[in-house]
Amino acid sequence: MSSRDSILASIRRHTGVRHEMPELTLEAITYADKLATFSEVLAGAGGKAIELRPGEDVNEVIRREFPEAKRIASNLKEITCATFNPDELTDPRELNGTDVSVVEGSFGVVENAAVWLPRQVRYKGLYFISNALVILLDKTQLVHTMNEAYRRTASMDYDYGVFMSGPSKTADIEQALVFGAHGPIQVVVLLK
Amino acid sequence: MSTKHTIAAARFLKNKENEAWHDHTLWMVRTKRDKMSHSLPEWERLRELASEIKLYSNSHLDTLLEEFEKNAIANGAIVHWAKDAEEHNEIVLRILRQHEARNLIKSKSMLTEECHMNEFLMSKGIDVVESDLGERILQLMHLAPSHIVMPAIHIKREQISEMMEREMGTEKGNIDPTYLTHAARKNLREKFLHADVAMTGVNFAVASTGEIVVCTNEGNADMGTSFPKVHIATMGMEKIVPNLEALGVFTRLLARSGTGQPVTSYTSHYRRPPEGQEFHIIIVDNGRSDILAKPDHIRTLNCIRCGECMNTCPVYRRSGGYSYTYFIPGPIGINLGMLRNPEEYSDNVSACSLCLSCSNVCPVKIDLGEQIYRWRQDLDKIGKASKEKKVMSFGMKFLMERPGLFNTALKFAPVVNHLPRFMVYNGLNAWGKGRELPAFAKESFNDMWKKNKVR
Ligand code: SF4
Repeated sequence: MSSRDSILASIRRHTGVRHEMPELTLEAITYADKLATFSEVLAGAGGKAIELRPGEDVNEVIRREFPEAKRIASNLKEITCATFNPDELTDPRELNGTDVSVVEGSFGVVENAAVWLPRQVRYKGLYFISNALVILLDKTQLVHTMNEAYRRTASMDYDYGVFMSGPSKTADIEQALVFGAHGPIQVVVLLK
Repeated sequence: MSTKHTIAAARFLKNKENEAWHDHTLWMVRTKRDKMSHSLPEWERLRELASEIKLYSNSHLDTLLEEFEKNAIANGAIVHWAKDAEEHNEIVLRILRQHEARNLIKSKSMLTEECHMNEFLMSKGIDVVESDLGERILQLMHLAPSHIVMPAIHIKREQISEMMEREMGTEKGNIDPTYLTHAARKNLREKFLHADVAMTGVNFAVASTGEIVVCTNEGNADMGTSFPKVHIATMGMEKIVPNLEALGVFTRLLARSGTGQPVTSYTSHYRRPPEGQEFHIIIVDNGRSDILAKPDHIRTLNCIRCGECMNTCPVYRRSGGYSYTYFIPGPIGINLGMLRNPEEYSDNVSACSLCLSCSNVCPVKIDLGEQIYRWRQDLDKIGKASKEKKVMSFGMKFLMERPGLFNTALKFAPVVNHLPRFMVYNGLNAWGKGRELPAFAKESFNDMWKKNKVR
């Protein structure tokens, strides 16, 4: 018997009572001011939310936030401050040394300030490798909770996707919080 | 446990300052968890749902795993099944050999600890690099994790600085956590870029879509899988959840319970391998299907490895992870150890004051303390009950059979003073040294709790 079949046989042999799947009814929390709470929770996770003012250009904001940045990666047409298109690289390792990456988020989750990023770039490493990540997000695209979030992603097709809440972090040295363990040290969500 | 662990544990526990820090720090994490749980009116409902979903999935593992496999294969993944640790390790080695891989970058996985995979692969000449910072620190110090979520919680920054100076050439005496973390970031970046194969654990496997979900704060799992041509994801079979809607219940509970964050920085969904990459998923039994036959202990399969039962446990906080003989410490580790091998791990069942704090906070409602109590009663059967343990079992039985009296009954605190000396390293009795629990003799735990004297 293959391991697969013997494992499945062992499961069948040992399973006793078969419990029912519960009805996933839940009165989940809702937030009165989604945008304000999202920004607040994001700050708590070490990120920064910036709401674009009317008439303001995203490139100006990115330049203002990261005046020192030399290598700016983006495959988005509107990001004219990008210095290269990461999708044109033949090896994702060439992404190393990127100062800022600019990507687009699909929607945000208010309860935990996570942004859903289904892969929309050639190499998903782009989301993790640069020192700073700027996520463009439509501010009308905010859901209250993860329950609602998964109802949305259920109808989406993606090969890889990540809910990202703020920068990479660790507290492995004496519980002292440090940003930028391996991924971005800074995350800015630009709300348009 | 190797001598190295023993020495380190003894060193840690000898130092009263470290011990107090450990206790205090973990209690802070527990406090953060409370803040998180209070911020959601539906918290208790989420716990209830999480527990019920797990009971459903663990009693339908056959059909759910088949569904998961079918969908994962349709997504382009290669699915393997491993009956035990040995088969798991062989599968990993076979994949590595197929790709002529010499090095493996991995993110944190309790399952690979369970299988002793690193030692096995290294004996076969594979360079295994842990990429979670805490795990990496321990790997370079040749130590084992002492907590399942905060693996290096028992190590002090001075020790890390010393090790990093030696291994990575950092400045002598620089103990700044930001400096050290960023030096490790630089060092590990090269490892990420040049690894042959990446390996991750699995927090959740979604049956209806065939995808796996990995949760990290560091982003090390995602960095690891971004460059090599092969990704191996390994999962205990109880990681299965039926669908995305059910997954939402768990991702809301996991980090809030474990570290007091609203969510981990990264909740990463791996569905299909990118072009040119191979994606392997290993489904591991290693004793799990046997637990299904033990109705009293079946709920241990609910565990989502959040670590909360360690943070809240007064014994764990004061004694540290190395005082347990099973590789997973704390309340869940006591139970899993007994399910693995009751003869070998029965000492751990004494490491419990039956305060039931673990049962009260566990996000998937495992009756951790109650199960420990049942194990104690079973000790006789496996010929492990010493006289001392019998005294305690009797005392605990007395308490447990009178739930109404439980609070006041804690005034029978002398029982606690008969705690067997479960933490003996090198003849140094750490519990006896640091923890005679004089407080218990004078005031009940709950009284002290109310007066804010106990954390
Ligand atoms: S037993 Fe419960 S509290 Fe402990 S690690 Fe598992 S899920 Fe968390």
